[in-house]
Amino acid sequence: MRSPYEVLGVAATASAAEIQSAYRKLAKKLHPDLNPGDKAAEERFKEVAGAYDLLSDADKRKRFDAGEIDASGAEKPPPQQHYYRHYAGADHGNPYADVSGYADFMDGEDAFAELLRRSQQARANRRGQDLHYHLTVDFVDSITGATKRLNLPDGSTIDVTIPPGLVDGQTLRLKGKGAPGTGKGGAGDALIEVEVRPDRRFTRAGDDITIEVPISLTQAVLGGEVRVPTPTGEVSMRVPKGANTDTKLRLRGKGAPRRGGGHGDQFVSLKVMLPKAPDPELEAFVAGWKDKDYDPREGRTS
Amino acid sequence: MTMTKQEFLTSSGLKVKVLEFWLEQRWLVPQEAAGELHFRDIDVARAQLIRQLKDDFGANDAGIDVILHLMDQLHGVRQALAELREEARRDRS
Repeated sequence: MRSPYEVLGVAATASAAEIQSAYRKLAKKLHPDLNPGDKAAEERFKEVAGAYDLLSDADKRKRFDAGEIDASGAEKPPPQQHYYRHYAGADHGNPYADVSGYADFMDGEDAFAELLRRSQQARANRRGQDLHYHLTVDFVDSITGATKRLNLPDGSTIDVTIPPGLVDGQTLRLKGKGAPGTGKGGAGDALIEVEVRPDRRFTRAGDDITIEVPISLTQAVLGGEVRVPTPTGEVSMRVPKGANTDTKLRLRGKGAPRRGGGHGDQFVSLKVMLPKAPDPELEAFVAGWKDKDYDPREGRTS
Repeated sequence: MTMTKQEFLTSSGLKVKVLEFWLEQRWLVPQEAAGELHFRDIDVARAQLIRQLKDDFGANDAGIDVILHLMDQLHGVRQALAELREEARRDRS
């Protein structure tokens, strides 16, 4: 590691003004934005900036001179600056780029002039940027589909059609709703990342949906009808006699739409609930029940 | 992602007056849509550069004007070169 004095090319006795002037001279030559194609310049610029950071701080400089800190120890990690040249590079499309520097080359009839003219035209008709947005929808809307209004930062709105069966984190592309382009270049697209707000009733796995539905002891023992919510509204379902907690019933086609047609299923997981308050009649019945000592843990290994 | 004028002022710490001057000089030309300014990443990076030219390098307004003008031409040439290289590659394959 070179000493910061060497890096800046000044004497160890240099004044603060001399150090600043040496730094400015080097920085002007090495600044990455004034050397857009030169990778080495950035490394040297960092070195120079580090040396200046140390020597321009009277306290740090004193400690360095006294040997308390070394040239690297004093260096702050360089802030991760994204230089202008990173955005001005050819890949990003630079709206500031100016063709006047080679306009004379475009005048000729040769192939080179033709190429330059073509690329200039392409630039003049550049497509607008894509703009990114975020939208949150209810779980039910994500299954059935919906239209949501999105408020944009500039006060305008766009109506977003949520397709049925959308999954959490899916990105919707609205053609032509992005930033305007230049010349004949069309507008960019709006890219909307949609977050699905979880519903405490439903869980989704693939195209299937599961819901837990409480049933009474009576319904479990004798069977009966229950009302079950689905994303498209309540339906009536028959509970078979002898249903139990964790018995799973299938509502065919009540799940999320499948890619390529059809729907997944909704599974109803039953949960047997005793009456909320203790009931003397039920107690007396169970106490007198012949098979009251049945073992629900039978067959379990642990 | 773009920033509104207010967001840009907040994140850059620039004074309104200074920004107005830069816009007037056309050192910064953010996008305009629906009567609002939209500052792109490139505008933010360019503002940072203008600041460095001023504060760190001691360039004055006239100097910044010249530097930006030459730099925009340089990037124009670099862009044309890059596109020519693309064309040449396409022709070869």
